[in-house]
Amino acid sequence: MAHLLAERKPFLLLLVLLTLNLVLMSSQVRGAGRGSLLEDAILNLCSPFLKSASWVSQGAAATWKSYAGLRGVERENRRLHEEVATLALKAQQVEETRQELDRLRGLLDFRSRVEYRSVPARVLASGAFGAGMTLLLDRGGHEGVERNHPVLTPRGVVGRVIRVEPGISKVQTILDPNSGVAVLIQRTRVQGILVGLAERGCRMEYVSELSNVEVGDVVVTSGLDQIYPKGLLVGVVTAIGEGEGLTRIVDVRPEVDFSRLEEALILLKPEGPPERESR
Amino acid sequence: MKLVRGLATLGASCLAQVLLSRYFPGLSRYCDLFTILVVYYGLTRPQAAAMMMGAGAGLVEDSLVGAILGLNGFKKTLTGYLVGSFGSLFMLNQAIPRFGILFAATLIDPLVELGLTAAMGQSVIVPGMLGLLQRGLGNGVIGLLVFWIAARLP
Repeated sequence: MAHLLAERKPFLLLLVLLTLNLVLMSSQVRGAGRGSLLEDAILNLCSPFLKSASWVSQGAAATWKSYAGLRGVERENRRLHEEVATLALKAQQVEETRQELDRLRGLLDFRSRVEYRSVPARVLASGAFGAGMTLLLDRGGHEGVERNHPVLTPRGVVGRVIRVEPGISKVQTILDPNSGVAVLIQRTRVQGILVGLAERGCRMEYVSELSNVEVGDVVVTSGLDQIYPKGLLVGVVTAIGEGEGLTRIVDVRPEVDFSRLEEALILLKPEGPPERESR
Repeated sequence: MKLVRGLATLGASCLAQVLLSRYFPGLSRYCDLFTILVVYYGLTRPQAAAMMMGAGAGLVEDSLVGAILGLNGFKKTLTGYLVGSFGSLFMLNQAIPRFGILFAATLIDPLVELGLTAAMGQSVIVPGMLGLLQRGLGNGVIGLLVFWIAARLP
């Protein structure tokens, strides 16, 4: 091997020297890429490594960007969830307001149709107070509310005021067993007294056995009790049964849904005839 | 010592070529002292020494004429190798063979340059035949004179 090298020594030296000179030349001659040939050669030689490095760095950058983006998305997601919750609450409030507005509009419309002065009131509480089914309204003596003033909704009779305080009033509903409303069957004008049965609705008593009453008949106030004006809707007959003696018992389902009652109208009904002009 | 002598010889050739081109520009066009030096080394020294001298002389020439560094170095290295190879195969002590070698070495120079420039994608300028012949003759004559002087130096 050493002998071979010694023999080839001039040739190897030639190769080395020629290569050095070529490298020198290449470093000065401009190539197609407008760099020196040496630069071009080095660039071509290194380009796979440069590309690999670039690919790796770009991949790493893209991965990092994706990771950072994911973190951003997570933050954004959390923020949007909170925003959705807030907006849902707002939407609920808006819907509530809209429904309240609808109810109040209905109440206002009803108020314009009633022949007496009236004051709208909000239900503060409802339920069984003592032995009766009562409501508490946010209007009282200050607004001119007095005892026995009838309380209505556009759907029908609610009850009457039984106690008045300066800014609050207590209402005995027609569901109260102690209540009594003079009513009549709208179709046949058969009269009777409506008493409350609490959760089970109402019952029309003192109806003659011979009277013409059918299930589905509409029951309205007769005005004979001097509390409720005549002709206010009370409910619908749901069942007819035998009463004591020569009477019948007529079950009535009130038109007012007491479990959902939120607003009502208190009629400031004066003693005597209705005040059409005072509305 | 050999290296110092070689460097001194190279320096002297360089100086002579500069002086020649300054004071005898017409003559310097037909005389390449660096080629003569390399041929001399190829004929009288080992092949490796001829190549080393060729590389050195070529680089010096490149620096002097402002050519691409390495172009003359490449050519002269190749010339040194070829002359060294040829000198080791044949007896080239006589004037006529030496003239022939000098003439051939002068022709090798532009041919290699042609090939190199073409290989590097540069614009190729084919040298004129008459100019080549004149240069070969000039190098041959002056080379023989230089060899004669060199043989008488201590």
